Order: sequence, then structure tokens, then C-alpha cells
Amino acid sequence: MPALFRTAALCGALLLCQTASAQLFRPADNAPPSPPAVAAKLASRGELKGIRVYEMRMVRRNDVLVVEADISNTLNDDRFVYYRFKWVDAGGMQVGDGESWKQLKVMGQQVQTVKAVAPNSNGADFRLEFNVE
Amino acid sequence: MTRRTAASAHPNTLTTEPHAMHATRRTTLLALAGLAVLATGCETNKVSSPVIRFDRQTTNYGDAKGVELVTNEFGSTDLQMIAEKMTGSLLETGIFQGRPTVTISTVKNKTSEYIDTTNVMNSIQTALVKSGKVRFTRSIQEMQAGVDELTRQNQSGLYKQGTTAKVGKMTAAKFSVEGELTSIVKQNSQTKDVYYKFTLKLFDVEEGTIEWQDEKEIRKTTKK
Repeated sequence: MPALFRTAALCGALLLCQTASAQLFRPADNAPPSPPAVAAKLASRGELKGIRVYEMRMVRRNDVLVVEADISNTLNDDRFVYYRFKWVDAGGMQVGDGESWKQLKVMGQQVQTVKAVAPNSNGADFRLEFNVE
Repeated sequence: MTRRTAASAHPNTLTTEPHAMHATRRTTLLALAGLAVLATGCETNKVSSPVIRFDRQTTNYGDAKGVELVTNEFGSTDLQMIAEKMTGSLLETGIFQGRPTVTISTVKNKTSEYIDTTNVMNSIQTALVKSGKVRFTRSIQEMQAGVDELTRQNQSGLYKQGTTAKVGKMTAAKFSVEGELTSIVKQNSQTKDVYYKFTLKLFDVEEGTIEWQDEKEIRKTTKK
């Protein structure tokens, strides 16, 4: 029985060490935050894990709002970003039924541009919802 | 009781063995508790992604707009992404100035899968109708139902004069939409890669010219 306890304790300690080292050696997410004007358009959930949006472009083309966002991976690890644009009218009400979620692989140190078009002329503003896996 | 008896029989082990046992147990418990705390700490930092996977065997109503990753066959997310891309591209170009009439023509499925391509076109049509930028006329598939209704109103003798829809008043489509879905599938013992390409064309019916065209590419790779 003592041998069993000792083995269990050793396994536990090893797992503890492994988890702790994973936490310790995980690259720190020290990238600067998104500029305030861009951050106001973002609705992120959870840890950003090095993913940042530094630039967004918005233009009204043929009476519909067109948006582009540059999603940057500031770390070396590849990340999967789940995102969608949410459109709102001038009164803040949601326009359309809501876009589908999309999966985007952003490789280490890569910048990926995503684009969306408002579903109709009522789209006056937007939010970029995303989380990082 | 047994231990106490055994201890009294062997005075040397009386002081050492129970202490060693307790110490080992304490270490184990501490290690396990530490692990549990760490694991709990890790869990709280995670947020769930909007994905559809078979992680657990329960039934729930999920997000119809979530990213479907069950298999790498054509799925709801592909359909939604195609519809969104095509609709956005059409609205952005401004080809629908003056609310022209459009009809849906053929959508060819050139993949090896069974895919209801009408569903893709329905999603595009729904989004375009809701945008208010275009008017759709009956497609070839929908025409018979329209003809039947006109015949019923005009030839059955059931309706009041002046309330029936007149024959020969339908508006013809200025544009016709044609689509095509193709795929390239590659696989080996470890990986299956599927590449889909959806091409959509907008023809001017009278002139026969392509007035707009766009495509959506999708790559899905699965490790076996």
C-alpha cells in the first residue's frame, strides 16, 4: 500500500511539474493592445493568446457598409480564430439574422485580413466578435 | 487495533511505520490537491468556441451559425460562408441599381458528394431579397406553380371578375444567376483534404453577357 501511495504521489508531482512548466514556458502575451478606436469595435471573449486587431477599414460602397479587419498573430504559435461581424443600425438594433461564425487559421507572426459586407443599407455600425483557440 | 498490537510486539517499528505512512499519505493528498487546484485554475481561463463537435454524447440545441467540424464533407458552415460571400460581393458591386429583376437558373453540382445546391441558391436569394436591392422572378422550377394558380383563377370560374390576376402580366427577369460547385479530394492514410470552389455568374438575359462573377474557395483538411 505505501508503494502505491508513493507511486501516486510521484505521478501527481510529475503531472504538477508538467503543467507548471507548460504554464511557465508559455510565451507571454505582451503585445500592445488594439488602438482605442479599433478596440471599440471589438467584442472578444477569453484570452487573446497573442491575437490582436490593430487596423480596421470601413467604407460605404454602393449604399452598403464594407469592413475589413487585419487580424494579427503576435506570437509564433499558430492560432485558430473564430469570428463573425455583427451589424447594427443607427439606433443600435441588430441588422439581419446575424452572420455565421467562421474559423480562421492565423499562423505565427501572420496578419490575415477578413472582410464583410452589411446585409442591407440599414447597417450603420458593426462589432467584430471573436475568440481564440 | 491490529496495528497497535503489532506495534507493541515490535517496539522498533512502533514509532517509525505509522509516521512514514501518514507522511506519504499527506504528500499524496497535497500533490493531488495541488493538481486539482491547478487544473481548476486552467479550466476557468478557457472560453468555448462556437463549434459543433461530438465532444460529449448529449443532445442540445446548438448555434445554427456555429462552425460545423463534424466531418469534412460539405456542411452548413460551407453553405453559409458561400451565401454570405456571394451576397456581399453582389451588394458591394452596385449592379443592382434600380432594383432590377433576377431569376435563378441552374446550379450544377460537380462534386462527388450529394449536395442540395438549391439550398445554397435559396440562402443567396433570401439574403438578396431581404437587402431590398433586387426583385426575383419565378425560376423555371417555380414557374409551373405560378401557371397553375393563374389557370385556376382565370379558368375555374370560381372567382369574381376583376379580382383575378391577369395572364400575360408577369415581369421578365433582366438578369439570370447560374452557379457551379466543384471539388478536389485528396487523401492518404493520415490526411483527407477537400477543396471546394463555388462559382456564381450573373448573366444579362437579353445581351447574354456576364455582368458579374465571383467565386468562393473552401479548404477542409482532416487528420484520420
